[in-house]
Amino acid sequence: MNKIFALTGVVIKELYRRKDFYVLFVLTAVLTLAAGAVNFFHDEKIVRYVKDICLLLIWISSLVIAIVTTARQIPAEREARTIFPLLAKPVSRGQVIAGKFLGCWLATGMALVVFYFFFAVITGSKEQSWPVLTYFQAAWMQWLLLGIVIALVLLGSIYFAAPSSTSTISFVVVISILLVGSHLHVIALQQPEPMQTVLTFVYYIMPHLEWFYLSDFVVYDFGHVPLLKIIAATLYAAVWTGILLLLAWLGFRRKNLTT
Amino acid sequence: MKISPFTVLLTLLALAFTLALGLAQDAAGWSQRGKSGNVLGMMFGDGRKLLANQFFTMADVYFHSGYYPSIFDNKAGQEDEPKAIVAATRGHEGHDHETGDKKCEKCEECGSFLGQPKDWIDAFGRNFKIAQHTHLEHGKEREMLPWLRLAADLDPQKIDTYTVGAFYLRNHLKHVNQAEAFLREGLRNNPDSCEILFELGRLYRESSHDLDRARNVWELGVRKFLARSPAEQKENRLVFEELVVNLGHLEDEAGNYGQAINWFHAAQKVSPNPAVLQKQIDEIQKKLAALLPVGPAKLY
Amino acid sequence: MSAILQTQKLRVEYRTRELRQPVKIALTGLDLEVRAGEVFGFLGPNGAGKTTTMNVLLGFVPPTSGAASLFGIDVRQPIARQRIGYLPEMTYYYKFLSAEELLRFYAKIFGLARAEADRRIDQLLKLVELESARKRPIKSYSKGMQQRVGLAQALLNNPDLLILDEPTSGLDPLGRMKVREIIQRLKNEGKTVFFSSHELGEVETICDRVAIVHQGDLKAVGTVAEISAGHPNLEQAFLKIVGFQSAHAS
Repeated sequence: MNKIFALTGVVIKELYRRKDFYVLFVLTAVLTLAAGAVNFFHDEKIVRYVKDICLLLIWISSLVIAIVTTARQIPAEREARTIFPLLAKPVSRGQVIAGKFLGCWLATGMALVVFYFFFAVITGSKEQSWPVLTYFQAAWMQWLLLGIVIALVLLGSIYFAAPSSTSTISFVVVISILLVGSHLHVIALQQPEPMQTVLTFVYYIMPHLEWFYLSDFVVYDFGHVPLLKIIAATLYAAVWTGILLLLAWLGFRRKNLTT
Repeated sequence: MKISPFTVLLTLLALAFTLALGLAQDAAGWSQRGKSGNVLGMMFGDGRKLLANQFFTMADVYFHSGYYPSIFDNKAGQEDEPKAIVAATRGHEGHDHETGDKKCEKCEECGSFLGQPKDWIDAFGRNFKIAQHTHLEHGKEREMLPWLRLAADLDPQKIDTYTVGAFYLRNHLKHVNQAEAFLREGLRNNPDSCEILFELGRLYRESSHDLDRARNVWELGVRKFLARSPAEQKENRLVFEELVVNLGHLEDEAGNYGQAINWFHAAQKVSPNPAVLQKQIDEIQKKLAALLPVGPAKLY
Repeated sequence: MSAILQTQKLRVEYRTRELRQPVKIALTGLDLEVRAGEVFGFLGPNGAGKTTTMNVLLGFVPPTSGAASLFGIDVRQPIARQRIGYLPEMTYYYKFLSAEELLRFYAKIFGLARAEADRRIDQLLKLVELESARKRPIKSYSKGMQQRVGLAQALLNNPDLLILDEPTSGLDPLGRMKVREIIQRLKNEGKTVFFSSHELGEVETICDRVAIVHQGDLKAVGTVAEISAGHPNLEQAFLKIVGFQSAHAS
């Protein structure tokens, strides 16, 4: 585990030494503050649209950080050839995959903490209330989703040489699942065969990322999700993350790194 | 011959300046967007109407606290316009949204789109989405206002934005002045709108208790309606009925029974329920009869 | 003396992406043995299979057939690399880390205790003359400084076997001398050094044994004296072995 944690540390250092996170955080903060400063009908208590906008920006920023950071890991190491001195050490390729995953996941988790803290300060100053449990659940579920996304991107980065292709494909897949995922079975019923079968198959085998989007609970003050459901979702995320990381390892372990 | 890069730069700048001067007048007519005095209109052009509709829908989503059908949930043939938020301002047959029921039990047609879970994935997924049909109340209706404001800015010709916004400002949030200002803004952008005039009249009658102003505004609304083409009148009979019925009630309240009866007769011509209006007329006629002397005076 | 590094009928084939192109054979069945405590030179013209052999030994490339082992452990096991140090020809290290951070990272990979790691890092940074720049990011280093970082990381775990890929390539005469001194010192300590080089003059000076490969085949292996027998120097012997026909010879 020490080797995995060592790799994790390097990934985290890379994230906070690059400018990505700071740029996105400043952008989120500026847009949120600008939105919050607007006066609608001289009513100072309006807050939900600020929450909505801020959470949307947090989601976009965290997905950008997760996907772009992860898509770069293996391909950039291969391109810069830093993978060779690394693998010349007594570290297995599986440990490299695990270390990269953990580093990206923890790094995005830290970014999420900062984002949500900012969110809590801004909305709390308007609402004078802090539903901490709801915020925590929303952040936790978002972090779990990012875990699945990071594992998916790692898998993609094994097969796509360019970080840009991995990032683009990952964004398309993730956004598609979030927007359409829960409706795919309805869409399938409206299609002729064989598309109906294909879409139904995809609906059942894909990771249902839309479960992890709890922003509506925060925006509309809808209370919190029962603990058992959160635990079940956590297990689901862990299984999917494990499957994707396993596939990534299987693809990476025999890969000829010199070509 | 060696030409200095600065010479080239100056020449290009002079050329650009000359072209700009020459084309300025013509360019103004190329894009309608440039003529818009509104920042959002200038940014989005004609796309702003789409965006305005989207923001109006967002207000409806907020009204239902997120419980809202997606484009995949909407059944075929359903109206494009968000039903509930508009219906909420007027109620619909047999049910009045103004009572502020937290759980709108009678409004299944407004948005019960989820139905039974189709499979275990759907069933489990409902734990993480808002699956309860509620309406905003107790002052929380303010949360819709930003979207209505943006919708109005993007599409000043969308009447419903003003009527819906004013309804909630006046009725639920008790911001009567804000509601009036919003309706006046709508009227400036849509001077022939009977719907806005109707809503303005309601404001004067119900909130300001100014019957004279309400009468003036509603009568103006009736005149505007009658000035429309027959085809337009046929399309918008509801607003005319609302205007004349409310005028009838107003005159009834003011004691002008004869005028009240005239208004109800006018309403009967367009109403799908003339019998109900006849009852109103009969009651007013009874009141009118009660005022008249009993019989000729006896001479001794 | 026991074999520290061993290959048995090592064969590596590369499949090209072009259609109807034959498979490229990089190694045809290499049998190689490096004994403990010797300095072993691995020679051959460009494309002979030297880098492929090193890539297999380091686990970068899986062999098509045959076997390779380090300290008796199959090279596919990560633990086989616990006692080796590797210096690549070009310097490839994380630009956003400082030299100290890089060494500390590799120390964790080797499982060195904190105190031991600190001691080794201080010692090595002094050896490669990077003490003053230890906290600066590697991206701010010159080429020579980056190569010295490479040497430091190769020696971090006090390796019993050092694998060097063209260690003096691109170095000035002073740098080359330093590398030779380090190799000699390691030899005196009983370490094994396995390196590839085109600098035959250096190989003649420091190697105990050399192997010459050409077109994936092992052409000759033995001491410098054995291979150079009958030729003025190692270079002439090398050229003869790889089949180079000089214009003057005809």
